[in-house]
Amino acid sequence: MPKRTDIKTILIIGSGPIVIGQACEFDYSGTQAVKALKEEGYRVVLINSNPATIMTDPEIADATYIEPITSKFIEKIIEKERPEAILPTMGGQTALNAAMDLHEKGILKKYNVELIGAKVEAIRKAESREEFHDAMKKIGLEVAKGKFIKDFSEAKNFAEETGFPIIIRPSFTLGGTGGGIAYNVEEFETLVTRGLEASPTNEVLIEESLIGWKEFELEVMRDINDNFVVICTIENFDPMGVHTGDSITVAPSQTLNDKQYQILRDAAKKVISEIGVETGGSNIQFAVNPETGRVIVIEMNPRVSRSSALASKATGFPIAKIAAKLAVGYTLDEIPNDITKTTPSCFEPVIDYVVLKIPRWDFDKFRSSNPESDVLGIQMKSVGEVMSFGRNFREALQKALRSLETGRSGLGSDGKDKFSFEYLTNLKDEEKSNLKLRILSKLKTPRSDNIFYIRYAMLTGASMDEIHNSTKIDKWFLNQIQQIVEMERELHEYEVQDFQN
Amino acid sequence: MSKKKKVTVEIILKAKKNGFSDRQLAQIFGTSEEFIRDFRFKNEIFPVYKTVDTCAAEFEAGTPYHYSTYEKFNEVISSDKEKIIILGGGPNRIGQGIEFDYCCVRCVKALREEGYETIMINCNPETVSTDYDITDKLYFEPLTTEDVLNICHYEKNIKGIVVSFGGQTPLRISKELERNGLKILGTSSKNIDIAEDRKKFGKLLDSLEIPKPEYGTANDSVSSVKIARKIGYPVLLRPSYVLGGRAMQIVYNDAQVEKFFRDEADLSKDHPVLIDKFLEEAREIDVDAVCDSEEVYIAGIMQHIEEAGIHSGDSTSILPPISISKKNLIQIKEYTVRIALALKVKGLLNIQFAVKDNIVYVLEANPRASRTIPFVSKTTGVPVVSVAAKIIAGRKLKEFKLKNYEDLGYIGVKESIFPFQKFPKVKMFLGPEMRSTGEVMGIAQTFGEAMAKAQESTGSGMPVKGNIFVSVNENDKRKKTIDIIEKYVKLGFGIVATAGTSKFLNENGIESETVFKVNEGRPNVVDRIKNGDIQIVINTPLGSESRYDEYAIGWEAVQSKIPFITTLSAASSFAEGIAYIKTGNIEVKSLQDYYKQ
Repeated sequence: MPKRTDIKTILIIGSGPIVIGQACEFDYSGTQAVKALKEEGYRVVLINSNPATIMTDPEIADATYIEPITSKFIEKIIEKERPEAILPTMGGQTALNAAMDLHEKGILKKYNVELIGAKVEAIRKAESREEFHDAMKKIGLEVAKGKFIKDFSEAKNFAEETGFPIIIRPSFTLGGTGGGIAYNVEEFETLVTRGLEASPTNEVLIEESLIGWKEFELEVMRDINDNFVVICTIENFDPMGVHTGDSITVAPSQTLNDKQYQILRDAAKKVISEIGVETGGSNIQFAVNPETGRVIVIEMNPRVSRSSALASKATGFPIAKIAAKLAVGYTLDEIPNDITKTTPSCFEPVIDYVVLKIPRWDFDKFRSSNPESDVLGIQMKSVGEVMSFGRNFREALQKALRSLETGRSGLGSDGKDKFSFEYLTNLKDEEKSNLKLRILSKLKTPRSDNIFYIRYAMLTGASMDEIHNSTKIDKWFLNQIQQIVEMERELHEYEVQDFQN
Repeated sequence: MSKKKKVTVEIILKAKKNGFSDRQLAQIFGTSEEFIRDFRFKNEIFPVYKTVDTCAAEFEAGTPYHYSTYEKFNEVISSDKEKIIILGGGPNRIGQGIEFDYCCVRCVKALREEGYETIMINCNPETVSTDYDITDKLYFEPLTTEDVLNICHYEKNIKGIVVSFGGQTPLRISKELERNGLKILGTSSKNIDIAEDRKKFGKLLDSLEIPKPEYGTANDSVSSVKIARKIGYPVLLRPSYVLGGRAMQIVYNDAQVEKFFRDEADLSKDHPVLIDKFLEEAREIDVDAVCDSEEVYIAGIMQHIEEAGIHSGDSTSILPPISISKKNLIQIKEYTVRIALALKVKGLLNIQFAVKDNIVYVLEANPRASRTIPFVSKTTGVPVVSVAAKIIAGRKLKEFKLKNYEDLGYIGVKESIFPFQKFPKVKMFLGPEMRSTGEVMGIAQTFGEAMAKAQESTGSGMPVKGNIFVSVNENDKRKKTIDIIEKYVKLGFGIVATAGTSKFLNENGIESETVFKVNEGRPNVVDRIKNGDIQIVINTPLGSESRYDEYAIGWEAVQSKIPFITTLSAASSFAEGIAYIKTGNIEVKSLQDYYKQ
C-alpha cells in the first residue's frame, strides 16, 4: 500500500523528563520517527518537555514545542498546528497516557485528529488488565491468575485456591509502593493489610507468583496486511521476580529450543493480532515455567519500548523508523532494510553473535536506613544500562561488565574483588564451606552485585545445582560463568616473569 | 620455587575469547596493563571487527556498525579520509545523562559538515549517538583504554580524538590515550589539568585577580580540622575527582569533619579531600562559553533559584538571569573571558560563580561540555556544541555570526526531576550531591509563565487554591519568609503550620492554623496531606532531631504528588508561577517561532 496522502501534518509526543524506567531510549526512537516521517514529506510537529533531548533540537522537527505534556497544552498545540494525525507510540507510557487523555476529553474528536501507530481500542485492550485478560483467554493463552480485592477475607479465599507465594500490588500507588511477595499466611496478612491502606482506592491486586520462572521478551512488528515479523527475542538472565529493566538480558534467547521458541513466536503473533496493533511495533513479555513449560503472557506494550531500543541496537533493525513508516500506511515488504539496502523489512533479522545488556544502578546516591534498598524486585531501580557484543556469552558478559564504569574490568580478578582469588582458593576446607553457605544464602535475594557473588560461590566450590537453587538462574548461564572461572583458574597456572625485564 | 608455566600467545588468545580484559590479565599475572598490552601488540594479538548487519552476513551490508571479537577474519576497512574519533558518554547514571548524548551527536554532525570522517565509540544502547546513521562509523564497544586503542590499531589517518563532549567517561581515559600517542583535540591536557587541580587553579585565579572562596586540601581528619578552622566554618568537603558531587558535604564543626572521614574512608583513601569555604546564602551562577583560544563567546549566563550549597545539576536554573546586578554580570563576563583566555580554551568552557555581599567568586571551571549546554542551546537557539566542535577542528569564532543571549525577550527555566518515590526512607532535601535523573524546561515571555510551565512538566503541577503547609527552621524565621508566605496569602491560600512556625507567623501578622507534627498526635500533617487538605508543602531542613517528621511529610507529599519545596527561594519563585497560572492564559509557541523573535 502506498503511504497515506490524506495526512499532511503529524504530531509526535515525546516522553518528557528522564526518570527511572523511562530514559533516553525514547529520544532515540522519537528522533528516528521524526526523521522517517520528514523523509516521507510529512510536516512533523513535536512536543516534549525535556530540553536535553536531541529530538527537540530545532533542526529535527518542523515545529518543536518544549511544553508540558498534558492535554491542556497539547490541545493548544493541536489548535495552532492542526495536525491530521498523532503518533503516540514513540514517547513511552507518557505519550500513550497523554493520547488516551486527549481521547477521553474529546479533544481528538473536536479537532478531528486520528491516532496512528496504535488506535484507542488497541491501547485500551493492552493496558486494561481486565480487557487484556479477556483478550488472551479468547485466543487461548494463559495469564497469571489474579484478582482485585477490597478486603482481607476475599484475599484469603484466593490464597487458599492458588497457594503461595503470592504477589501483592496495591492499586494506584507510585512505583508499586506497599507491594511485595508473600511466602506464607503471616506475610500475606501483613502485606494485604498494608497494601489496602497504601492504596488510595483501598484496592489490592493479588496475583499468583511466577517467581523463578524464565522470562522472555519478543520484539515484534505488524503491518496493515497482517504481515508479522519477530525482530528479536530477548531472554532475561535473571528469572521472574526481577524487573526486566533491572535484569541482565541476552539476545538472541539462549536456552529455548526451536519448538519452545516457535510456541512463543506463534503466541506473539496471536497477541499482536488480537490486541489489534495494525501498524507498528510491540513488546510482548512471556514467563515460561522451567519445569512444566507452561507459558504465561505477562504483558504487552503496544509501542516502542526500552527493549525495542535494545533490540534495534542488537540487530541493526531500526524498529522506530520502520514503525513510523508502517503508521503512515506502508507495509513491511515495501520498506527496504536500511543496512543491506537490498532486502525488505519483512526479513526477520538473523544474528550470529551474542548481545548482553547490564543495568547500571546508583544506589550509593540514595543511601538510607533501609537495608533492602538495593534489593531488586518488581519495581525498576536502575538508572542506565550498557550493551555489549561478543561471539559467545562469556565474551559479551565480560565486555559489558567493563563497560559499566563501576571500576570493574570484567567478572572479577580485577583487583576490585571483595574476596580475592587467592583468598578464596587458599581457604581451609571448613572456612570455605562456611563462606560458601553464606554466599549461597545471600544469592537467594536478587541484588545488583549477585553476578560477582556467583563467581565467588563457584570459587568456594559451590555446585551448579546449589547456585541454581539459590538464584533460579538457568544452568546454561551458570555453566557459562563456570567456564569463565575455569579460564581464570587456568590462567593462574601461568606467569609472565620470564619475559619481563 | 615457581612451578608456573610461561605465558603463551595461545593462552592469552584463549583468555581473550573468554572476554578477559588486559587489566584482568595484568591482575592475574601480577603485572601492569601496559605490559600485557605490549605483549599483545608485539605478538599481534588483536581483536577483529565484525559488522552488525541484520542478516548474519548473508547479504552485503552497507552500514558501518561494528563490534570486536577475537577471531580470524576482520570485516572493517579503514578509508584514507582524515578521521576524528568521538568518545561517547557510556551508561547513563546520575550526574551523567542524556545531555552528553546530545553533545556527542551534535559534535559528530558538525565534524561531518566539516568534511571529516567521524568515528563514534559508545556502549549505551539507549542513545542516539549509537544509531548507525548518525556517524560515518560506529563501534559499539566499552569506553576503556584497551578497547579504544584496539580500534585505533586499525583506523588510519586519525586527526585526533574528542573527549570533551561525553562527560566524565572519556575524560577518565584521556590521559592514558594521550600517553599512547593519540592526539586529544581541543583544550590542551596541560590546561585541563590546571582547571582540575585545586592548587594550580587557585594560583591561576590569584594571578588573574579573581576572588575565590578560601580552600585547602588534606588527606586525613586531623589536618582537615586544622584547615577548616583556619578557613572558618561552614566548609564544603569533597573527595577530589568525583562527578556529580558524590559524597560532598557541608559541615559546620569539627565533629562533622571527623564523621565525614569515618563515613567516606573509601573515597578519601586514594585522593585528597578538598576543603572549601562555604558561602552561605550566596547566589550561584553557571556560565557556558565557547572559546577559540583568542576570542570568547558567552553562550549563556544562568542564575540558580536555590542558594549555594545545592548541586548545580539539582537546582532550578533561569536563563537569562533575573536578579543579578548589572555590575556583577559585567564582572562575571570579564572573569569568564580572563579564565578562558588564560586556559587557552579551544571549545567549550563552563564556569560556576557565587555572588555574596556583592563580590563575585569563581567556584570552578571545566573546559568541556557541561550538562547545561542543551538547555542553553534550546533557549537561545544558538547551536553551541556545533560551533565548539568546529573550533576544535580548527575554525575561529569570528567565522560564526552568533547572537547575544541577553536580547532574547523571553526566558527559559530548567527544573530537575528526582526519583525519590523509588527509594523509600531516603532524605529528600537537596544538597551538594546530585540526585536528579532528568530535567524539564519551561519557556515563555515572563518568568512566572516559564516557571509555571516547568513545574507543570515535572508532573506535580501548580495548585491554584487550597492550603499550604509551612515548617521552617530557626535560621529561616526571618523577614524573607514572611514576605514569601504573604505572597501565598495574597494568592488566596490558607496557611497551616507546625506550632513553632505558626507562632512565628502569627507574631508577624500572618494568620495560620496549627497542625500536629507526626509524633505530636493526630490528626497530624501527614493525615491532612492524605485527606487532600494540603496542596503545597514548604519545609526547610530542620536538622537531625526532626528527621523522622521530615521523611514522613516528604514521602507523603511525593506519594500524593503535591509539590514539596525545601528552600525559601524556590517557594518564592513557585508563588510567581501560581500567580501566572491564576491569570488563566496559556500560550504555546514553537522554538522556531521564539528564535524568529
